[in-house]
Amino acid sequence: MSLEKFKDRNIGNQNYTLIGHEAFPQTSGEKFERVMKRMLKGELFVGLWVTLRTMFQALFKGEMHTTKYPFEKLPISPRYRAIHEMLRLLESGHYRCIGCGLCEQICISDCIRMDTRYDENQRKEVSEYTINFGRCIFCGYCAEVCPELAIVHGPRYETSSEQRASFSLFEDMLTPIDALKQQKEYPGFGAISPNADENIKKTPLAY
Amino acid sequence: MSKDKEIKMITVTIDGKVCQAPYGKTILQIARENGIYIPTMCYLTKVKPIASCRMCVVEIAGVEGMILSCQEVATDGIEVTTNTPQLYTQRQNIMKLYDVNHPLECGVCDKSGECDLQNKTLEFNVATQNFTTREPHRAVENWGFISYDPALCIMCEKCVHVCNEIVGDESLAISVGGYKSTIVNKNLDDGCHECGECMSVCPVGALVSTHFKYSSNAWELTKIPAACSHCSSGCELSYEVKQDKIYRVTNNYEFSSLCGAGRFGYDFENRTNGKDEIDFNNALDAFAKADTIRFSATISNEEALILQRLKEAKGYKLVCDEAKGYQDFLKAYSRISGKSLYGGDLATIKSSKVIVVFGSRVDSDNPMVKYAISTASKHHRARVMYMHPIEDTNLSNIVTQYIKYEVGSEEGVAALLAHALVDRDNLDEDTKVFLDNLDIGNLSAESNVGEEEIDTLVQSLSKRKDFTLVVGADLYSHPRVENIAKLIALIEKHGSFDVVAIPPATNALGVALICELDNQVGDYTIGYNSRGDFTLSALGEGDLDMPSLNQQEGTFTTINKQVVPTNAALEYKGYVLNDIASTLGVKREYTIDYTQELPIDKGYQGVAFDDLKVDFGINGEDLRGYRLQTQGVDSDSILEEIAPLPTYDGLVLYRANAINQFSPFTHKAKELQSQEFLRGSSQFALAAKISDGDEVKFELDGVKYTRVFKIDTSMKGTVAINPTNDKGLSSTLVSSYRYAKLILDVQNK
Repeated sequence: MSLEKFKDRNIGNQNYTLIGHEAFPQTSGEKFERVMKRMLKGELFVGLWVTLRTMFQALFKGEMHTTKYPFEKLPISPRYRAIHEMLRLLESGHYRCIGCGLCEQICISDCIRMDTRYDENQRKEVSEYTINFGRCIFCGYCAEVCPELAIVHGPRYETSSEQRASFSLFEDMLTPIDALKQQKEYPGFGAISPNADENIKKTPLAY
Repeated sequence: MSKDKEIKMITVTIDGKVCQAPYGKTILQIARENGIYIPTMCYLTKVKPIASCRMCVVEIAGVEGMILSCQEVATDGIEVTTNTPQLYTQRQNIMKLYDVNHPLECGVCDKSGECDLQNKTLEFNVATQNFTTREPHRAVENWGFISYDPALCIMCEKCVHVCNEIVGDESLAISVGGYKSTIVNKNLDDGCHECGECMSVCPVGALVSTHFKYSSNAWELTKIPAACSHCSSGCELSYEVKQDKIYRVTNNYEFSSLCGAGRFGYDFENRTNGKDEIDFNNALDAFAKADTIRFSATISNEEALILQRLKEAKGYKLVCDEAKGYQDFLKAYSRISGKSLYGGDLATIKSSKVIVVFGSRVDSDNPMVKYAISTASKHHRARVMYMHPIEDTNLSNIVTQYIKYEVGSEEGVAALLAHALVDRDNLDEDTKVFLDNLDIGNLSAESNVGEEEIDTLVQSLSKRKDFTLVVGADLYSHPRVENIAKLIALIEKHGSFDVVAIPPATNALGVALICELDNQVGDYTIGYNSRGDFTLSALGEGDLDMPSLNQQEGTFTTINKQVVPTNAALEYKGYVLNDIASTLGVKREYTIDYTQELPIDKGYQGVAFDDLKVDFGINGEDLRGYRLQTQGVDSDSILEEIAPLPTYDGLVLYRANAINQFSPFTHKAKELQSQEFLRGSSQFALAAKISDGDEVKFELDGVKYTRVFKIDTSMKGTVAINPTNDKGLSSTLVSSYRYAKLILDVQNK
């Protein structure tokens, strides 16, 4: 559809299809007739019957459908974007973040702040990493831009806390080291494509 | 200095564009001057062509094969093609070879975003790699301020060339070994002065600042163009700032250089919480009481003008110990030469064939002079005569003749030089008589400069042209400064020498031109970055805080007789000198409103601050600010008789800071912080009956020193070097002669 058609706000000339319906009551007698007709027809019980049936099933047949939140939670889409998680390397357990600063740079609400330094092992160490969740709009750009799949969005959508800083530090978002085995590869926004292997070009290794 | 031959102009056609150039320039130079792009990886304008990358190859009509445009001098009528499919493939292959095993760590590399390898790899569309080799293990080396990662190094050799040709340290060398070649720092413990020049020219992330490494990405930093505020060279630099913190200093390394102080001494700012009104009112009370303002020459031209206006309005005496001697020198100099300013600058030194250095320890007084001398020595094989009571081993690879003279005998040495170098032909009768009547034998004996040494110096001048005489701070503080200045002026006027008088502090030239300085301090003194009864200080230890020079806008007058602008890199919340002056009736809205009011009769041009440029031209010309116009002055003065030369027997102290240290501001900078020692020879130790590591107490210019003595094996004689940069506000109290007799109060540890 071309842009002009969207911009056309002159609704009068457009072709609308009218849905057939009964004629509107005109006189007060006709109006009274319609009220009485609707009242006595018993249409209401058609809807109520569904409720009664479900109530019966839940109470006496053990087919309860209510999720007992917060004790139970519904499964959510893997692409859901909630509080960030920082992942670890599965082999060494070291955090994946290399401190490249791309997430900080791309963040459109300017809520990521990181500091890096030259550590004793001559590596780039992430010395400070915070996300201000008061500002974060959970757009997912940080996860998409991350070259190491180090920052991803997790499923944790409950973000009430006594302190704003409660889950905004690097350590809070990082996979606990004892939970390393449970760490799941992120399938969502920014994850490698299913055909990634085919896209890799080999570099020559003659030795 | 007239050129012997008229330089021939030639016509070169590059990619169909007809270019005119003087004969002697390379094809690459002509192309760049005319805005034609030829890719290079190893070319650096300020050094000789390195010719290690082979990217700059071009084709010339009628010549077989590819020509290296960086080192091939253009001849008349050639037709150059800079880009053909063949050249493109050649360059692409070079880039592929550079990319062999280059670690894919751009994500963390400091250079990422401003990396030549990254740019050229993308430019030549290197998408596949068909070369390969086995990578040897290459460990990261830390060279103090600089860290070297050989795995990232592409062996362009820029660093080696700047170290040898510009800096003159000759510390870096290539360890040749084919693919295993690396850069080695052979003078790591001694000789490498950690200037960081190698790091600045490195096109990749192989040489990076250890302090800056991995702390920020290049693209996150905002560049604030500024001028270095540490010495009188006022070098171009950019403070790179993020979130009100200076992360590092970079410069236009293609054309200009920096010393270690400029590069690593950037965080000397004075942080304040806001305007402290109580302190400000105290300052106003103090100004009401005061009759003298004593200040350091590490201020901007505008501040100097404010002080001068205050003097005119309120009658304060202005005392600046650092610049007073220099002002006397310049005044006496102009009375003989008839010019308000000396003739030479750093560019003259660089192109000189003979350089005489007199009365300055150049590598600590002004490193850019040392760099310029080193460039002249390496590029033109210039002969360098170094005249000083203390031999400087840091210059030993540049200096061709060292002439030692006795401490205090500068006037005699100046007379000897004038006698030998002044051309008698156009001289007036009085001066001729004066020179002929000089008792050369006596002066030579008293100053300990042999007549044959002067003869050797004179012989070096034969069959050469472009002479420069560099004079320094030893002369300005000498009691006989005026007569010395006159003798120096005589050498310039009648001896085909260009004189460069190194300003002894950052803006000593500006202060000397703008302010009328007084000799004596009155009863109640305001100190501005100097000791006083009430002190305004940018060091954070005074009665009222002032912004330091990286927190304010302004201009400096440099050794090049150039007015260069500097900008505020960091926020400053407190009061500035202009606030005080405005309250006292000398009113302007901003400090930089004074820029256009700088005195035109002294050579300033009345240009507003916002109209001053901050950049370099396409051919490397320094377009920052403007040049002072040398004014004609009535020359009337007659030379005085040479006073009996003073003797400095026994122990003598020489006031000089360590390399990369100039002032309390460099001392305050975190990366440069170091303990200062009294350094002397073992002979000095013997004479003073002290040994290495002893604590020594003494007093100079009313400042008390407690210093640890260190034996410096490179030194000889009984002159020891005493730094002043760690004495805070007292460092600028340097009114006396630069050498002082020493009476020691020894305390063993």
